Parts: sequence; structure tokens; C-alpha cells
Amino acid sequence: MPLDTSSYSLALLRLDGRRWNELRRIHAQISTQAAADGSSYLEMGNTKVICTIAGPAEVRRTGGGGSDAEIKVEIDIAGFSGVERKKRTKTDKRVAEMRYTIANAFSSSLLTHLYPRSTIQITLHILSQDGSLLAACLNAATLALIDAGIPMTDYIVACTAGSTSSYSSNDESADPLLDLNSSEEMELPFLTVGTLGAGEKVSVLVMETRAQIGRLEGMLAVGVDGCKQVREILDQVVRRHGKKLVNSIVE
Amino acid sequence: MTSLKRTTVGDPHSTNISSKVFVRSTKSGKVQKIVRELYLRQDIPCSSTLCTLCLSNAPADANGIALEDLRCLCSIPALPFILSDRPAGTKAFPNGHYLVPDTNALLSGMDLFEQTSAFYDVIILQTVLEELRNRSIPLYNRLVGLTKSEEKRFYVFFNDFRLETYVVRDPGETINDRNDRAVRRAVKWYGEHLQQAMKAAGRTKRCPSIVMLSDDKENLQKARKARIEACSLHDYVSGLADADLLLDMINELREGQDARASHGALLYPEYFTKSKMITGVKAGTLHQGLFNVSPYNYLEGSIRVPAFERALVVLGRENMNRAVQGDAVVVEVLPKDQWKAPSSKIIEEEALNRNENADADEQEAVVTEQEQRALVEEAKKTQGKSIERYPQPTARVVGIVKRNWRQYVGHVDTTSVSLSTSEGRRQQTVFLITMDKRIPKIRVRTRQARELLGKRVLVTIDSWDRDSRYPIGHFVRSLGELETKEAETEALLLEHDVQYRPFPKAVLDCLPKEGHDWKVPVNKSELSWKDRRDLRDLLVCSIDPPGCQDIDDALHARLLPNGNVEVGVHIADVTHFVKPDNAMDSEASGRGTTVYLVDKRIDMLPMLLGTDLCSLKPYVERFAFSAIWEMTPDADVVDVIFTKSVIRSREAFSYDQAQRRIDDMSQKDQLTVSMRTLLMLSKKLRKKRMDAGALNLASPEVKVQIENEASDPVDVEVKQQLDTNSLVEEFMLLANISVAGKIYNAFPQTAMLRRHSAPPASNFQELQNQLKVRRGLELRTDSSRALADSLDTCVDPKEPFFNTLVRIMATRCMMSAEYFCSGTQTFSEYRHYGLASEIYTHFTSPIRRYADIVAHRQLAAAINYEQLDSSLHSKGKLEDVCKNINARHRNAQMAARASIEYYVGQALKGRIVEEEGYVMKVFSNGFTVFVPRFGIESLVRLGDLAVPEPEATFDGENYVLKTAGSRTETIVLFEKVVVKISDQKEESTGKRKVRLELVRSGSSL
Repeated sequence: MPLDTSSYSLALLRLDGRRWNELRRIHAQISTQAAADGSSYLEMGNTKVICTIAGPAEVRRTGGGGSDAEIKVEIDIAGFSGVERKKRTKTDKRVAEMRYTIANAFSSSLLTHLYPRSTIQITLHILSQDGSLLAACLNAATLALIDAGIPMTDYIVACTAGSTSSYSSNDESADPLLDLNSSEEMELPFLTVGTLGAGEKVSVLVMETRAQIGRLEGMLAVGVDGCKQVREILDQVVRRHGKKLVNSIVE
Repeated sequence: MTSLKRTTVGDPHSTNISSKVFVRSTKSGKVQKIVRELYLRQDIPCSSTLCTLCLSNAPADANGIALEDLRCLCSIPALPFILSDRPAGTKAFPNGHYLVPDTNALLSGMDLFEQTSAFYDVIILQTVLEELRNRSIPLYNRLVGLTKSEEKRFYVFFNDFRLETYVVRDPGETINDRNDRAVRRAVKWYGEHLQQAMKAAGRTKRCPSIVMLSDDKENLQKARKARIEACSLHDYVSGLADADLLLDMINELREGQDARASHGALLYPEYFTKSKMITGVKAGTLHQGLFNVSPYNYLEGSIRVPAFERALVVLGRENMNRAVQGDAVVVEVLPKDQWKAPSSKIIEEEALNRNENADADEQEAVVTEQEQRALVEEAKKTQGKSIERYPQPTARVVGIVKRNWRQYVGHVDTTSVSLSTSEGRRQQTVFLITMDKRIPKIRVRTRQARELLGKRVLVTIDSWDRDSRYPIGHFVRSLGELETKEAETEALLLEHDVQYRPFPKAVLDCLPKEGHDWKVPVNKSELSWKDRRDLRDLLVCSIDPPGCQDIDDALHARLLPNGNVEVGVHIADVTHFVKPDNAMDSEASGRGTTVYLVDKRIDMLPMLLGTDLCSLKPYVERFAFSAIWEMTPDADVVDVIFTKSVIRSREAFSYDQAQRRIDDMSQKDQLTVSMRTLLMLSKKLRKKRMDAGALNLASPEVKVQIENEASDPVDVEVKQQLDTNSLVEEFMLLANISVAGKIYNAFPQTAMLRRHSAPPASNFQELQNQLKVRRGLELRTDSSRALADSLDTCVDPKEPFFNTLVRIMATRCMMSAEYFCSGTQTFSEYRHYGLASEIYTHFTSPIRRYADIVAHRQLAAAINYEQLDSSLHSKGKLEDVCKNINARHRNAQMAARASIEYYVGQALKGRIVEEEGYVMKVFSNGFTVFVPRFGIESLVRLGDLAVPEPEATFDGENYVLKTAGSRTETIVLFEKVVVKISDQKEESTGKRKVRLELVRSGSSL
């Protein structure tokens, strides 16, 4: 909607008609690519991601690999995914940081010690971007890793949380926001939070914008709460897929 | 292979998700296709207090969680329901009604909606609000302001987010048709919803009607077909009680559009299309800039564009092509053979086109015959003329980027009103002449022409079509009789965009509860004493103009045991009371400065603070922000500290009293001695500053004596400069410079500073040439030092005033000083040219300037007194603040000047005086004379010299105007003349102004 974010206070409605504590529609599928060891397709609003897993596979290098499996992340952002067609270089710092964050998050949740001297390759294809990109990648990777059958302690689920007021405005009635879309991300301070399971165990926390310290707690609380909802949705997807799988075997 | 396609079955969201796709083009000309999700919902309330259905599922904000239990009990929605349960009715809608205007109704009738006599309980649809924002930002802002006011009861209904009222654009449907359909759908839903709600509540009263207001015939027709109550703005207003008055406020052009279109005579060339302008500007073939009209000649405009060093000239109505003063326009440079020199002649609209008929049904020409004649004469003169006045690049306006129209104050042109009684209240077209001479006459249709005669009125311009010689506008309201103090003061404030309304309640709520009884707490363990130094035992005093109530600053000095002197400047601690970002702060930031008029002061802060709690009044304890220096007796600064403090001023002197006390050698008390020390030090400081190249400029300042508020001014006197004036000034400069350094060190990116850039040499060209030709004097402008020195040499032993005259003229060549945020300029640009200081800010008058409040906050943070507010960390925000206060500062100065001008006129009313004056400018058909006694400058036209107008020869190279024929005079630049001063009501602006008549010129003196 062309009304800018400042109109929030008029009716407590966001640019796309959501309330402050509502997630966008999440749609997810598992085992979308038969050729991969594990795969998933996830939409959070208009952010669309395909994830494929290769591995755990043996390390090719001679003498390479340690006692734990190594997690490698590859992110491919399609040129048509944004509003403007843009070619990203391999050395894009932002993408490199996302790769690192994702690899780091999963190395703590996956039982990597079961696969010494091997690698797990996570490949993410971003088809469409509309905010909360890192969160969508984490969620898609969780689903794909489950599909690949790699043991993990719990789901890593993520979402973004922001605040209705920019850093420099001292608006007393600033509300925290859940799950920002790209136009909100452009204007408002936000963070990406990822939790391990439905508890309050935060495993990923990334913030690149400035936010007033007093608002941070609210943002984090809303984010963690959002993660709980995301986990619920992903869990349903996994269970539905499992049931189908069991049924097909039984028949 | 699995299909990634989403199945719609089983998705709980599928019915209420929609998406909005639109194409937009960016500033750089790229086209983007934007896809956005839309989550449709059913919990958007109708906000009518009649409805209980919506109340149960009203939205809550984030704090609602904490209050959930409480909320369930009493169900207070986060947003209160606005629309009244007993809305006003009219003849057509006896059960009361809610209004739903569509976009064009708001575009043409915004003034109506702001009325207090009608237009309550209005539903503004989101569709309309968005459309309005795309059409006109100022109107949008006004509308948002209305939705925030409690008593008007305007409610914004987000119809595009509500499932029932969302409308999908059909293929092939224009966006306007879709929006109209959305409005109709919403109106219909509202009606049904309210009926349902009434039934549910079991009320028997009849349901209020929902009335759609639209000026679109097709929309009205379709609405009627769908059985929706709808009427045009005109019809609706006609049914109201004060219809006559309200009807005038409807934007004229829409009504008249159909009628006018048939006339067909297009007077002005068409504007270029937007894309043509953008490509042209990019390619460098067209130029964009702000359009400025010469105050001397309404047919001459100028535009500064980056590609040319000097401003481009736009001559004549056709070339100006409907551009109005202040518009952002695109121009095309004309071929060289059409270049002209800027005019050396005074041309006023009033004098040329006096007897036009406003109704103008007969053929209109863009350029009247008289105008044509004036231009031709002009052209002839420039052709065979000197090298000095060579033709300049001349341009014509080809398009308008942005209109900067505002509301204008003016009066109805008497001659354009038909007074025959039979016409009674018939609507007629009149001309409205604005106070600002640079604005063309405005054509206004009104029914109350006769009542408006002789009144100051406020109007806005609605449009300027190609077939109309003058812009078309509508009347907003009347300010009162011409020449009454109230009307003229309000007019002046409106013209200079000064906010003069009383402070709203939200602002007054920010004041300390104790009111006038507020005192510095006795107990030093109180929070407000934290980090505050107790300076109550110092002999502090203040020196201000007589009658000053808002005392910003106080001083002290005492000898230290080591032979040095301790000097303290104590500034009112305004930021103790004005906390960042509350209502009072934003009000002060909006006002920017206190405006001083002759008989009135428009405060930036509420009276309680300005004249009492913050003001450093004598004999009482006050909070202050102190800068304390240790200085050698030679006025070299050894050390400086800044601290919040508590002081008790011993005495409040006027400049005059202080001077007498210092001069009176019999006074030997401590306070007097310390004042003498201050004076001694200030003289040394001044000398140092002058040596560094500070300028001593002059501006004609006069003071109007008024006996009391109600009476007319008694006399005008020239302001006197005493030693004590410069005493205070020196220490304030010192404080400002010290603080500027401190806050710049602490916040290199975001310090609030003030700079005065060096004027470009071209500004002085004319004056240099004039001095050389007339007096053989040289004015050097390579540095401020050189300028200061050469100004000192510009003396005429026979004429002591000559030096001041040159200084006044030099001041006018200067750039104006401005506030800026340190991160936006490089350090070398920080310089204050006039004061010859590397860095400068404003710190010493926080009661009357907002910039000082910002500096106070930054200084407090720099000395670790408190945390810096986050808004002062943001460069963007500070830039906005600077932009606003720069504009406000300028406006305040102009308003003050205009006020003095008005009162000088009033003081001279009915008197005729002969005074000496000096020629400041010579034109080919007149000259301006400056009279120091009254600080006035006015034009004398050739036509005023004698009847018939004497013939004149103008020697532009030597600045001499010789007249012959009916009267022989020689007018020479800088020469003394004697003029007769009388007052006269100026026909063109309705202002009472002084009129000068030449008695004797230099040659016959």
C-alpha cells in the first residue's frame, strides 16, 4: 500500500493489513526435488526459497575433514528475485555473512559428530525476495535437513521482529512488529531471531539496523514468540509429510 | 517431480489474501513493478459509537497484552470510537448523517471540511486518503491534521483491508473507476452495517444516513443507481445554514471547468510533458530552478540554475507562462538574439492594468497593450546601449515541476466589484490583489463581494489554466477591516507563515505543575540538583533592552588570586523544562523562534517558561547553564568550563541604566566594579575580533515608541548603540564560539552550528563599480579583513552618514547566515564570515531560539550531564530541524521588518515632514531614497516629480538621472536629497506606506 509506515498509528494496521503480532502466510513443502538428499520449498509471504541438501558425503580432499561433519552453505539469489534485476557477485559481503550465520546455527543443532570427515552441503535458491530473507532460509534449511534425515536436537526456526518507530523518533507508543516485509525492512529497525525448538533458546540473533535499547526487549520477545508459531507450522508440515510417507509404505 | 504449486483448498488463508500489483517509476526514470500482499480482515471497526459489534473485536496495540485482563473487563479499545451516536442532521437527512467524501470532493473543498460550523462525523476512506496523497501532499497533511483533532470526529476507515469492502480492479478498468467503486462499496457497507448494528442493539431510533459527497457526475449517477445516498458538494452545502459563506470556499475551477472549456481561447503555451522535462533537464537542454519575481518589476522573473553563474532572466507574461513566485519550474534558454538586459525600470502591475474587467468574457490577451508598450520601450533602450548592461541569458518557462502555492493575504480590488444594488448577492468575479507584489492578481468568484470590500482577506490559488490570464482562486476567510491593528497583524503573521495560535493543551500539559510557584528546590539532594554547581553567591547581573521580560543571559566577573579574571556567562536552563520530543519540544521546534513585532511578541515557548521560570529574573534563584572562563587581564582565555548551575541575579539592568552606573564614578560597590571589569575585557575582546577581520556592518534600525498597547504609535527613533550593548554582545559571541568548539569536538557529525559563507565576489560588483565611478573609492572584497579595512576608508568628510550608507549597502550584498548540522559540510565551510570565526553556534538565547535548545542539549551531553537524545544523533533529523529554523528565522526577521514598516506608516499618518535622505538606487524612470531618520527606503518615480512627467535621460554608467522639461533635477547616486514625507495608502497592496516627494536634489542643495 502506498501509505507509509507512519500511518500505523491511525488504525494499528500495517502496510499489508496485518496487525503488529501477525505472521505472514507461511507455506512449505518437503521433498520437492527427488534428486537431492533432502529438499524443501518455503514461502513466507512473497519470499520464496528452495533448499536442497547434499550429504552427508565424504570429504574428497586428502587428509581433510575433522571429527565432526562440516556444514557448507551455498546461497544463490536469482536475478529476478528482487524488484530490480541485479547480478550479485560471489564475494557479496551480505551473502557471505548469511552463509556463515546459517552454517554456524546448524553446526550447533545437528549432531555433526555422527559424521566425521564428511560434509553436509546446504544449497539455498532464492526465487523471490520480500523481507525476512535470512529467516526464510533458516526455516527452509531446517525442513530440508529433516527430509535428508540428518539427526538434530530440535528445529531451528526463525523470523524477524521490528519496531514501528525509527531509531531517531522518540515515539512513546512504538509497537514491536512481527515478520517484516521488504518495504517495512527498508524503513524500520528490525532483527532476525532464530530459536532452537519452541523454547526460549535463542541460537541466531542478527541485527543490522540501529534501534533504541528500550525497544529491543519488546522486539526480541515478539520475535521469540513468532518463532514458536513458526515451529508449530513447520511441525505440521513435517508431520503431514511423514504421515503421507508412512501411508505410501503401508500401501 | 513434485509440483510446487500451492493448492488453494485447505489453506485457511486463501479467501482473505489478495495482492496488489502496481507499476511505479523511480526518480532516476526506472520502471518497477511492485507486488504486495494484502491481508484482508474483518476486525476493522466502523468506529461508530452506535455499534457494539465492532467494539468487541477492536484491535489492541502491543501494550494491550499487558492489559489484557483489565481490557476484558471494561473493553476499552486501543483506539477510541470516534463517530458520534447522534450526528447532526440537515434538511435532507433528518436522522443525522455520516459524511463520506471522495477524493475530488476533498480536493475542491478542503477549506469547507475545516469549518467549525458544519462537517462533523466524517468517514475518510483509505482509498481516498491514498489518492489524495498522490494528488496533493499539503491537502493530505491538512486532512491528517483533521483526523487527529478530537472535536471534528474524522475517522479513517481502512476499507481496502476489510474483506467486505475490498474491491478488485477489473481488467480494463481505470484506477479512478476502481477507486470510485471502492468508495461506493464502502458507503453501502457502512449503511448496511449500521442498520445491522442498530437491530442487534435493539434500538428503535432511526439509523443515521451515510452520505457520499462527490463532484464526479458519473460517480453520483452510479451511486444513485445502487441506492446510495449521494450528493455533490455544492448541493450539500446549499442545504446548510450558512450556505452563502460556505459556497465561496468551494474550489472554483471544478465547477467552471465545463463552461470555460468552450471558450477555447488559449492564451499561454502548453507545458511540456513530464518525461520531456526530465529528459531535457538531464541532457542539459532545459534547466530547473525556483522561480523568483523581481520586487520592482512584476514582469521580470529570474531563476538560478547550476549551469549558469548568474540568474537566468524571464521577461514578460508569456515567457513566465503561469509560473508564480516560488514555484519550481523548468526553463528553456531562448536563442541569443532574444536575450535582453534585466530591466532598469520599475513596473508595477497596478499602474498598468488598472481597469480590467474581472469577468473578462471578451477576448483576453496575455499581454495587455500597456504592458506591451512598457516592454517595447525597454527593449529599445537595451539595444543601442552600453557595454555595462549587456543582454543576459533569457529564458522562458516550459513547465512546472512543483507549485509552491500557499494561502495569500490580500484585498479585493475595488474597481472590479460591481456595486449596483440590483445585483445583490449574485455571484460575481472579482480581482484580489495580494500584499506580496510578486504574486499576480487572483480571480475569485464570490457572492459576498460587497461585504469583502475594504477587508483583509485570505485566499488560495486553485489553478491557472491556459485560457485565463490570471490564476483562479477562492476565498478562505476574512481577517477584518483594512488598517485595523488586528487584521494587519494577523495578515502579517500569515504572510510570513508565523504560527501564532495559542499553545494547544498538550503543550501546556508539559509545563511544571507548580506553575508560577515553581522554585529551585531547597534540598540539595533533590534530583534536579544533581551535577549542578551552586553559584548563588556570585554577583550576577543581567543587561538587556528596557522592558525585557525574557531574560536569557546574565554575567559575572571577579578577580582571582593569581591576577586573572573569572568571567561567567549564565544562560537560562531551558532544557531543564523542555524535554526532548514531547509536545512542547515539537511545538517549539516547529515555531523555531520567537517573533518580535512592534506591539506584540509571538513566543516560541509558553509564557510561564519564557517570562518566568526560565527567565533569569533578579532577586530569585534560577537554574542556569554557565560557561565560566579564566582570562588574563588582556582578555586571553586560559581555561573554560561548562556546567549546569543555580544562580541568583542581583539586578536586571537596561543598557542605559548599566551604562550610567558604570560611568558614575561615585559608585564603588562590588557589582559596579565587576561590571567595569567586564566592560574593560569586552573592549579588548572586540579589538581582537576586529583585528581578525570581523565586519562592522550596519542595518537601518529604528524603534517605534508606543505609549500603550491600544494607542497609536507616537514617534519613531533611531536605535542607539551604547558601550554596554557591545559588552553583552562580546561575551555572548565568546560563549557561542566556545560552545561551538566543545560540541563539535564531542559530536563531529551532528553538532548544531551556524555558518556565514563568504559572499561571492560578483555580489559586490555593482557596489564596487558604483563607489569607483561616483567617489573614486575602492572596495576590496578578497577577505573579510580586506573588506572591513576598505569599508573604513569609505568616508566622505563632508558627509558623516556616507560611511553608514555604504555599510548598509554592503550588508545587502552579503549571504545570510544559516544553521547547519556539522556532518553536512566540510570544516572549511564552517567559517562565520561576518564574525571572522572558524566555528560558531547559537547558545545564548534558548528562550527565543530553538537552535540554542539543541546546542544546550548537545553541550549537556558533551559534559556528561545527561544522555544525548537519540533524535540529536541523527543527521537527517537535524538537517530537517536546521532547514525549518533557517526558514522560520528568515520569516521572523521579515515579519518584524514589515511590522516596523507598518507602524512607521501609522506614526506618520496625517503628518507631513521634510527630511534628508540619500539616493540608494537609480532607475531610468525613478530612484530610491533612504531616510535614516525613520529607517525607511522608498521609491520616487519620475511621474511623481511633476505633471506632466518630465523627460529624463538616464546615464546608467555614471548612475545619473537628469530630468528636463516640466522640472529640472539631477539625481546622482549616493547624493543627499531633501524629501517630503507623507503617508499614503498604497492601492496595490492596501498597506499604508510612506510616500516620498522630492523637494530638492543634490544639485540644488
